Amino acid sequence: MGYEEGLEAYRSQLLQSLSSPPSRSVSSMSDPIQVYVNERRVGELEGAGMDARLHVQSLDHIETIQLRTEEGTLLGGLVAPEFGYRTSRIQLSSDVIELCVHNIAQGGSLSAVLVPAPSFWSRMGKILGDVTDKLAIRRPDTALAYSMRTVAFTQVLLAIMVVGLIYDRMATWMNPEGEPSFIGQPVALRTVSMTEMDKLEQQLGDLARMQQKVGETLESQQKGIAQLHQTMAQLSSSHESVASSVVMVKEEMEKRQEGPQTDRSTQRPVSDFVQKEQLEAAIKNLTVDNARLSNELARLEEHNQTLSAKLQTASVNASKAVDQNPERLLASQPDMESKNQSVQVVKSLQSPQTQPFLFWVTFSEGTSQESIDQWVHEKKGHKGVINEGWQEVRIVPPAVPPDLFLEQIRGEKIVKAARIRE
Amino acid sequence: MQNTVGKSQVMADHTVTVSRLEEVVSTSDEFDRVVSQALPVLLDRATGYTKRFLRETGQWNDDIEHEKFALRWGSEYLERFLVCGRSEVPCRPLFLFDSLVAKQHSKPEPFCYHPDLLRPLGRFLDGLVARAVVSRDALIALYRHSYGWGAGEVIAVTGLNGLESQRIYKNFRRWRESGWQRTMDEIGLTKTELAELTSQQQRHRQRFNGEAERLIRVAQAHYRKSEPDHYPCLSRAQWREMFTQGYGCDYRIWHLALCLDCMQAAWGLGSSGSLTEEKPRLELLVRP
Repeated sequence: MGYEEGLEAYRSQLLQSLSSPPSRSVSSMSDPIQVYVNERRVGELEGAGMDARLHVQSLDHIETIQLRTEEGTLLGGLVAPEFGYRTSRIQLSSDVIELCVHNIAQGGSLSAVLVPAPSFWSRMGKILGDVTDKLAIRRPDTALAYSMRTVAFTQVLLAIMVVGLIYDRMATWMNPEGEPSFIGQPVALRTVSMTEMDKLEQQLGDLARMQQKVGETLESQQKGIAQLHQTMAQLSSSHESVASSVVMVKEEMEKRQEGPQTDRSTQRPVSDFVQKEQLEAAIKNLTVDNARLSNELARLEEHNQTLSAKLQTASVNASKAVDQNPERLLASQPDMESKNQSVQVVKSLQSPQTQPFLFWVTFSEGTSQESIDQWVHEKKGHKGVINEGWQEVRIVPPAVPPDLFLEQIRGEKIVKAARIRE
Repeated sequence: MQNTVGKSQVMADHTVTVSRLEEVVSTSDEFDRVVSQALPVLLDRATGYTKRFLRETGQWNDDIEHEKFALRWGSEYLERFLVCGRSEVPCRPLFLFDSLVAKQHSKPEPFCYHPDLLRPLGRFLDGLVARAVVSRDALIALYRHSYGWGAGEVIAVTGLNGLESQRIYKNFRRWRESGWQRTMDEIGLTKTELAELTSQQQRHRQRFNGEAERLIRVAQAHYRKSEPDHYPCLSRAQWREMFTQGYGCDYRIWHLALCLDCMQAAWGLGSSGSLTEEKPRLELLVRP
């Protein structure tokens, strides 16, 4: 057999074994079913016609569940969800395995229940029950359904008894030369059977009552189971939500604990906060400066008014000193008024001249501070603030117009540029 | 010409099957129907993935042994998919299958690979031990193939009680009837190869058993990981306590079959003096 042929034969063999559906061989029907979690054997379910349960708790997440025979045949399985519940009902010929897997953050759990196929007698009972149920469907009274079931059961029992009696009678007829003690048997049998029939009827009545009670109990149990299922479903959903919340909280905590990435996100609020503080401090400083400047302005205005008042007084005194004659003073009252007016005009003319002339100047590179100070002194001026290399200088207003004055200044050796506005 | 037409027909069928597998299936029955019609496509796909994994991990050679190895594992993945995929509906079967294979290959050691395990003796041992992990019949048969013991000796060595003993006899019977042949079919050992193994065993018994012991240790070390975590190797004192107290029946059966050293350590503890004093050595039996 060549390379290709051998390989093709092997492939066909594998495909053939995969094509046949998984099943239990007859010899392994009553053997335990092996349960594997994450491809590890964790236990087995006894399959000898009784309910079997297996509960597995795992620290790891459950990924897969597999059910195998002792021969190794894979019968069924389930892929578990990452979180939460998943249930599956796996039919194995006549038996059923119910799997319920639950994964949470801390691990997983598996519950496997083997529900074996019902026996012959229970199936017979079920068939009878089904028949009576079908009859009872026409009359939807459950009590009536039970009584119908009892009637059916009684009929079956009676039929068996009648067959037994006929068989017994036939045996007597077939053997008429029997022992003398059997001669009176038919009569005795008839009496015994009548009394037994009475007893049987009584027992059947009791049985019917008991069956009715059992039916009621079953109904109440079914209701209880339904409620239990509802509670379980609610519990599982709440459990799931709690688990997911825990996971979310964990993730959030992990994110927060992760260093640099989160630092970047927290640095921004911090820097914003610092900037805000700086801005507030700057505004505060500006407010203080503004208040200080307002005070200064008010003080200067007050001082200016005082000076004006002194000037006026001085003018009056000077005029008194020039003319001592009161009549003349009175006669010359209109003149005084005109003089006052002239003083006011002079004052109004002088007031701009008394204000210093302010200009800005920059000096040539390499000019020493001493040369600057000397130049300012020569101009009889005072230095003010320095703003972006421009020196503020206040001088007595020059005799020449400002433009001409600036031209003169610009022509000087140490001056690089000059201007009036800041 | 006919050949070209045939090939194009096959290609067209393949495309149709793949596109059907890409569509959503809503019920388990639909899943079974769609997947059962596409078994060859899925087997080739899984085999292709396994080949690629072996190539990428530097474990591939262009020979029939490697091809068979890839086919065997492709078939394993497909078997699991057929059974477990039903619980994943609604799904797109092709993508689910791809994810299942990828998940297997993302595990640290997805399968037991050793160049010597690809030769007939290695394949036989690897197949036997791999089967023992999923089949109790094969597990019990491992005692038979490794040491040549019958059911009674297995019961004595492992110190089992009456109920468990019945199971051992049953395991033996089933293995003889069908289990061994099925396992040989699954690992692709032909009749010629089996005959050659038997011949080697008869001609060079000691060398054959020595080689078998070396290889079975490799396989056992890998597959023992599929035991529960609470089944580690034990000292003789610990084994004695277990045998004396009568607990750990499963532990004894599973671990001793899969560990030559522990078998020697626990030798004689379960037999109450009925076994010989000499410790067991590997005496490989090819047939059950």
